[in-house]
Amino acid sequence: MSFISIHSLTKSYTKGKTSVTPLENLSLDVPRGEFLALMGPSGSGKTTLLNLIAGIDSPTMGELVVDGRDIAKLSRAELTHWRASHVGYIFQLYHLVPILSAFENVELPLLLGKLSRSQRREKVSAALELVDLVDRAHHRPSELSGGQEQRVAIARAIVHDPNLLVADEPTGDLDRESADAILNLLKTLANDHGKTIVMVTHDPKAAEAAHRTLHLEKGKLIEQGALESATAKSV
Amino acid sequence: MKLISLALKNLTRHRLRSLLTILGVAAGMFLYASVETMQGSLAKATQISADDTTLVVYRENRFCPMTSRLPEHYLPTIERIPGVREVIPIQISVNNCGASLDVITFRGVPPEALRQYNPDLTVIDGSYDAFTKRSDAALVGSHFARRRGLKAGDQFEAVGVNVYVAGIISSDSPQDENVAYVHLPFLQQASRIGLGIVTQFNVKVASSDLLDEVAAKIDATFKSDQQPTHTRPEKAFFAETAKQMIELIGFTRWLGLGAVLAVLGLVANAVLLIVRGRVKETAILQTLGYSRKNIATIVIFEGVLLGLTGGFIGVIGAFSFFLSKSFTIGNEGLTLALAPTASVCVSGMAVALLLGLVASLYPAWKATSRPLVQSLSSH
Repeated sequence: MSFISIHSLTKSYTKGKTSVTPLENLSLDVPRGEFLALMGPSGSGKTTLLNLIAGIDSPTMGELVVDGRDIAKLSRAELTHWRASHVGYIFQLYHLVPILSAFENVELPLLLGKLSRSQRREKVSAALELVDLVDRAHHRPSELSGGQEQRVAIARAIVHDPNLLVADEPTGDLDRESADAILNLLKTLANDHGKTIVMVTHDPKAAEAAHRTLHLEKGKLIEQGALESATAKSV
Repeated sequence: MKLISLALKNLTRHRLRSLLTILGVAAGMFLYASVETMQGSLAKATQISADDTTLVVYRENRFCPMTSRLPEHYLPTIERIPGVREVIPIQISVNNCGASLDVITFRGVPPEALRQYNPDLTVIDGSYDAFTKRSDAALVGSHFARRRGLKAGDQFEAVGVNVYVAGIISSDSPQDENVAYVHLPFLQQASRIGLGIVTQFNVKVASSDLLDEVAAKIDATFKSDQQPTHTRPEKAFFAETAKQMIELIGFTRWLGLGAVLAVLGLVANAVLLIVRGRVKETAILQTLGYSRKNIATIVIFEGVLLGLTGGFIGVIGAFSFFLSKSFTIGNEGLTLALAPTASVCVSGMAVALLLGLVASLYPAWKATSRPLVQSLSSH
C-alpha cells in the first residue's frame, strides 16, 4: 500500500476574475520511505502539489490519502493538528525565527506537545546531533551560515519524528558544497530512518539524489517517455 | 507557559518599539490611576455611611469659614438637645478660601475636649500632654506634616499664626489628617476673630438614625437667634460646601476615560504592527502545527504583557507620586487629601490587563485569518 496515494486531484482558485487551475486531475502513488523529487518549470504546480501533500492547502477535488488518512476531507483545524504530528516542512529560505537560538528553533514543534523540559532537550539534542550541529545549539540564525541554517531547519522538521518530510527547494539558496551536504542528509533520512520525502527542486543535480523524479507541466505529470521525447526535440 | 515565553521573546525583538509602547501605556495608566485616586478620595469624603454620626453646625447661608461666625455660648444649649452625645466648638482659620492644592487649615478647639471628642486620634510623634501644656502648641495631621516636612518640636508660621508642633497625629478621618489643631482661645486671638466666636460646632449624635432629627432640632433652637444655624451631616456638609472642588474632580473622570481609550489605541496599534511584521513567521509556525488558537494566544499574551508592564509602571508611579507628595485640595476651608489606596492599584492593574486583552483581540484575529498558503508566499 502506498504511503501517499493521490487520485484525480484538482486544485483551482480564483485570482481576481480569473479562475486558475494549477493542478488538474493528477494521480500519483509514493511508497513509504521513498525520496521523490518533483521538477518542472515555474507555475507548473509543483509547490501547489507539495503544499497539498503537506496539508497546508486543501484540494478542490479528488482524493489525497497520506499514511492511510484522506487529508482532503480534513478541516483547517484538523489539518493543523495532523501536520503537527505527521509532517516536517523544509523551506528554501530556512525561515528560522531570528530571535531564537538554533536549539529553541528546533524545539518549536515540541512546545505544542506534553513533553517535559528534559524530554524536549533530549529530542532537540538528538535532532541537532543528526544534522551535526550540536556545537552551534546556542547560536542565533544570524550567527550561522546558510548551510547551517538549513540544517537547523531540517532538525526542526524531524525533531517530532514525522513520517513525511516535504522540502521546497531546500538547496535553492545554497552553494554546491552546502547543497550536497543537505542532499546527503535527506538521503540518510530516507534510507536509514525510513522517512518519506517529497522534494521540489529546479536543480537536476539535487533531483539525482532522489530515488525517483517526476516532472510536472501545467498542472499535470508528464510521463517519462513523453519527457524524454520533449527533451530530445528541444536539443 | 511555553507560549508566554515565546511572546516575551517576541517583545524583545523590537526593544525600542516595545519600550515606547510601555512608556505610553505607563503615562496613560498614571493618569488613570491619578484620576481614580482623586475620585476615590472624594467618594470617601462625601459618601455618607451607616457609621457616620457627626453633624456640622454652621452659620446659615455661609459657605466660608471666614464668614461663618457663631457664638461659643451655643455650646451648652446644643449639649442639652436630646440625642446629642458630644459637642466641640471649632474655630477655623485658612490661608485660602478658594480651591488650592496646598491649603493650610488651623482648627482651634478646647484642648481638653479634643481627646474626649475624638478618641481615635493617635499621636504618632510628640505627645498630647505637650499639646495641652503650651498655649501655642499644635497637633498636626500626618498628611499635613508630611507635605510640609514637619516633626514634633518644630515651629511654623502660616496665616499669621505662629505655632509650636507638639505632636503629629493620625486618624481614620481624612479631615483630621490635613489640619493643625490648636488651642481655641489662642486661635481666636491670633486670627483676630475675638474670644467667644467660633466657626462651627461639630456634634456627635447617639446613632446615625438620629442625624436628621437632631440637625432639625438644633436649627429650630437657633432659628430666631441673631446667628441662625444650618446643621448637616459632616459628609453632606462637605459635599455642599466644597461644590466647586467636587465638580472639578468629577470632570476628571472624563480625563480618566480618555486615558483608558488612548492606552487601548496605543496597545492595539503596537500589537497590530507586531503582527503585520510577522506574517510569514506566523505562517511558518502554523506550518509547524501551531493552531490558530496557539497563534492568537501568543499575540494576546504580547498585548497583555505590554498592557501589564506599562500598567504596573503607571499605577505604581501614581501611587508613589501621591504618597510622596501628600497632595491636599482645599476649598472653603475643607480639605480633601488625595490618598492613594491599594484598591486603586488593583483596579488599575485589572484595567491594564483588560486593555491589553481587548486591544490584542483584533490583531490576534488578523494574524490567524489569512489563508496559510497566501501568508507563506508573502514577502
